[in-house]
Parts: sequence; C-alpha cells; structure tokens
Amino acid sequence: MSNILDIRNLTIELETSAGTVKVLDKLSLQLAEGEIHTLVGESGSGKSLLAKAIMGFINPRWKITADRLWWRHYDLLALNPVQRRMITGRDMAMIFQNPGSYLDPNTKLGNQLRETIPQSELKGIYLRRKANRTVRAERLLHRVGIKDAEKVMNSYPHQLSEGVAQKVSIAMAIAHNPKLLIADEPTTAMEPNTRNQIYRLLAKLSASQGMSILMITQDLTSVIPESQRMSLVYCGQLMETGPTEKIMTEPFHPYTDAMLQMSFFNKELVPKTRLPTLTGAIPTLQHMPIGCRLGPRCPKSRRACIHQPRLSKVKQHQFACHFPLIEVETHD
Amino acid sequence: MTDLLEVRNISKYYSYKNGWLTPQRVCALEPISFSVKRGETIAIMGETGSGKSTIAKLISGAEVPSSGEIFLNGELLDPNNHQQRCREIRMIFQDSLRSLNPQLTIGKQLLESLLFNTKWSAAEQQEHVYVTLQKVGLLPDHFDFYPHMLSSGQQQRVCIARAIILEPQIIVADEAFAALDPSIRAQIINLILDLQEDMGISFIFASHSPEIVKHVADKILIMHRGKMIEFDSTQALLTNPKQQLTKMLLQSEQLNKALKHTTTQE
Ligand SMILES: Nc1ncnc2c1ncn2[C@@H]1O[C@H](COP(=O)(O)OP(=O)(O)O)[C@@H](O)[C@H]1O
Ligand code: SF4
Ligand SMILES: [Mg+2]
Repeated sequence: MSNILDIRNLTIELETSAGTVKVLDKLSLQLAEGEIHTLVGESGSGKSLLAKAIMGFINPRWKITADRLWWRHYDLLALNPVQRRMITGRDMAMIFQNPGSYLDPNTKLGNQLRETIPQSELKGIYLRRKANRTVRAERLLHRVGIKDAEKVMNSYPHQLSEGVAQKVSIAMAIAHNPKLLIADEPTTAMEPNTRNQIYRLLAKLSASQGMSILMITQDLTSVIPESQRMSLVYCGQLMETGPTEKIMTEPFHPYTDAMLQMSFFNKELVPKTRLPTLTGAIPTLQHMPIGCRLGPRCPKSRRACIHQPRLSKVKQHQFACHFPLIEVETHD
Repeated sequence: MTDLLEVRNISKYYSYKNGWLTPQRVCALEPISFSVKRGETIAIMGETGSGKSTIAKLISGAEVPSSGEIFLNGELLDPNNHQQRCREIRMIFQDSLRSLNPQLTIGKQLLESLLFNTKWSAAEQQEHVYVTLQKVGLLPDHFDFYPHMLSSGQQQRVCIARAIILEPQIIVADEAFAALDPSIRAQIINLILDLQEDMGISFIFASHSPEIVKHVADKILIMHRGKMIEFDSTQALLTNPKQQLTKMLLQSEQLNKALKHTTTQE
C-alpha cells in the first residue's frame, strides 16, 4: 500500500501567555490511496489543527516543522503559498460539524452548489454552460443520496435538516473529485440514524472513487467499520496508531484502553456501576505536562513518563508508551 | 408506595402565524401519561422533533402544558407556581456554557437560588455553596471563578451543582452528555449515579446514546412524532421490543456490532 499522505514528526508551536507551546508534538500519520483513516482525540488534542496544516490553512505566526509533510510527490513545506493553494484546491476538500453554519444563509442551495462545479468540466457557450451546471449540480445531489434534488436546490440552508445539510456540504466538497476528503467531526451531536447515513455515504464515496478520507472524531463509538486504520491523539501527541480492528481489540496504550472502557466497549460492564474513566481534566495549553502528556491522568504512569516515549512498532501497530498494556520487546 | 411524579395526559400545542394566513397549530406532544418512582431513572429516546425536549420542558416547568396535570408526591403542581417547582424539579441543558451567566462568578450564581428559596443566613448560604461545589467534584476556590475560566466538563459540573443545590427530588436533563468529551462524560455519569445514591434523586433524561441509556436507565420511554409508542423497563425493551423503532434506537453503533461479529467468528 503506497501512502499518498505521509506526515512524520510534525510539530506546530504557538505563542501563548505561558510562552511557546507545542500544540502538535511530533505527530506522524500516513494515509494510503482510497483508505479511510480515523483520527480520534478529545477536545484540545489538535485534530483540527492537523487538518488545517494538511490543507495549508496556516496562520503565519505558527511555527511548523516536520521531518516529512508530503502529499503524493509534493513536499508541502517546500511549496510557496500559491502552489500550495493550487494543490489543495485541486486535490483536497473538507467538511465540518454544523454544515448549516458555513453554508451561506441567504443564497439558495442550488446557486451555492452550481458555484462549486469546476469551470473546466463545462463546455460550450454561456447558456449551455449554465444549463450544464444545473444538471451537474443535480447529479451531485443524487450521488450523495438526495432524491428530491430540485426541492433541495430551491431551499435555503435553514430549511434543511442537519442530515440533509451535511449531505449537501459533502456534495459541494466532492464536486471537483478530490483525492482527499478531511471530515472534521461531521456527525458530532447528530442522532444515530442520521449519523449512520452520513457514514455509509462517506464509505461508499471512498470505495467507489478511491477517495482517501481522514475522518476526525472525538469518540470511539463513532469509528466506522470501513475505516482501515486509526490513530489516537491526546494533547497533540500520538498515542497509538494501526489497523482499526487491532486497536479496538488489542490496544497497547493505556489511553486507548481507557477510551474503550469509557465508550462502553467493555461488554462485562454491569449497569449502574461507575464507569472506569481518566481522572482530572484535559490540561489547557498553558499547563501542558512535560514528557508524556497523559502522565497526570494515566493509571500506569511512573517516573520515566516525564520523558516523552518514542514510537514502538509491532507489525503494523505503533504506540508511544513506556509501560504498554502488553509487554513487548523493543530494540531501538 | 405512591409515585414521586405522576404525569397525567399532558400535551403541548404550539400555534404560530404564517404571514397573513390563519394561525397554524402544531402538535409537539400528544397527551401522554407515565409515572416515576423515587430514585428511578427514566430515559426518553426518539428522533429529532419527536417531542423529547418538549416533555423535559413541561416537567421542569420551562413551558406550560396545553392540557393535563403533573403531580408531585400526589400533589397537583400549579403550572404558575415557579417557586414550588423550582425547589423540587431542576433542569440541566446541553449547552452548559450558554446556560450560565458570564457576568457572575460561579459562587454568586449558586447563591442566587438560595437567596430566593431559603431563609438561611449569609454564612449558612456560603457554606452550603462550598459543600455543593465539593459534591460535584469542584473546589471551594471555584467560588470566585467566572464561567469562561472553566473547562466544558467543569461548566457542566457547575450546572449540576446549580441543579442539586436546593436538594431537589427530580433532575431533568436534555441531551446533557452529547457534546462532552468521553472522559468528562464518564465522570459526569458517575457523578449523577453517586448523587442518586446519596440523595435518592430521580433522573429523567433525553438521550440519543444507546450505550448511556442502557447503562443508567431503569425505564425507557420511546417517542415518535409527538406520541409515546413504548414505555417499559430497560431490560424488557432490550429483550423484547414491540416496536421496530425501539429496536433501532437501542442498537449500538456499527463498529461495535462489526467487532462483535469478528470475535464470535473466531
Ligand atoms: N417553541 C416552539 N414553537 C413551535 N414549534 C415547536 C417549538 N418547540 C418545539 N416545536 C416543535 O415540536 C416538535 C417536537 O419538538 P422537540 O420536543 O424539540 O423534539 P426533540 O427534542 O425530540 O427533538 C417539533 O416538531 C418541533 O419543531
Ligand atoms: S508513557 Fe507513562 S504516562 Fe504515558 S501512557 Fe505510558 S504509562 Fe501512561
Ligand atoms: Mg431536542
């Protein structure tokens, strides 16, 4: 499997009132062509920042360093902003939570959708192009599972349910056939039925078009079965990464284990008993622990944890922890 | 034993004007009856718009029912007597930050409900706020904090502190867990279980999460388009759901199922 996205030791530093803080701390992530990779992290883990770094939505005040930040055969950090925008615009797209909030509230969806059809795909004189656009827009809506395309095209965003609004935003995102779609918590706070529809749609698009998807979520209960690999991040550090099934059934990392327990994956859990959970709160940027950032909340932490653990590798599975759940022989 | 709360035929209609047309009447909740025992936990499930929030609002007194009555300990609740209801039935919302006053310290917000509802001295009130903060896992120091200085989990704790400070008999929550991070969500669920055990509080909550509902609810009420279509013990609905919708709403997530499948195959 060749990786089309290859990120090694990506670090992003921001200035805060408490000095410079690494909001992403040596994060690595690989994505293969046509693969769905789920990135799981609680709030403040840097998930959205990673998405922005990949898309090139970068604040000039951030200090970004990496051993590798490659998209296909492009070294993204070596490109100038114009080249970068060109590649993002051609190859990538993104969807978010609450699509209703970034669709233009005052413009009918049909018009917003027609705008996204790439010029290059249209031929002929003006009127012909305009008609083509409408046809293409309708076809896009059909592709995301909207049957009554005409009605949706004549609606304003607030007239749609959250599920349909998210489908429309997916239609806009895939209009130019991107090779990578980043979905940033696309279903958080949606009801399960709607959420499953969106998941099925994304899985189908990925399978039928070979589109890679980076699916960002805060919760293990919303990892989809079609996701081949997944990564868990905590406070900007990579905790564990590997094949989805391995991680969900044989985790090495205490954080993954805790997340599974908290997400009710433990079938022996007796109703009404107290849930196993991490104590304390997610630290703020100004109070990042040194070393392994899970340290103050980790049930297995010991003195050695004030040094950031290196990534250990067992087959396809990688984790960063001095005291993993399963003993492994590491030889660096 | 009489029931703590009895809901008898309450319904809710909203009417709104649609331009110059005659006002339209929408039924948010058709007449519904059920009862809740002391210390019992009831989950309300249903799709968006099915009437879950409406039930929560009617019980907590945030809205007045179009018909029907609510009895607490056998006594009719007057829809317009807020003081009585305020003490015994408290509500927590999904958006904790927005339901807190950004201009007031946590301590002042908690004191507010004591001011109007007790005849305690200032010192007694202050002491009670400290005790309540500790009950929800916050510190006396948080008395002087403003809401924005707290994390979302801590804000949700403040909302729970505000809900329990008058030692109510019932807490009503509408999707109070959905937006929380998993570790914080688990902490808050544990906190509610503890408080129920200590104070015998009944808990009525609307939720989309089959996992949370299965873990904490004694009974589940299933709503569909403003109608209650099923109401029974959690066990009964899990083993023998009569409605397709019940089965669907209580189904755990896809991957959960997929993994179970692979492990049983081995
Ligand atoms: N203030 C209101 N005015 C008009 N209609 C309302 C109002 N509140 C709720 N409704 C309608 O009542 C129905 C039930 O809503 P709600 O109780 O909020 O459902 P749920 O919480 O299950 O999503 C919906 O059709 C909703 O649009
Ligand atoms: S390195 Fe230490 S603190 Fe970090 S996860 Fe492992 S045991 Fe816990
Ligand atoms: Mg609701």
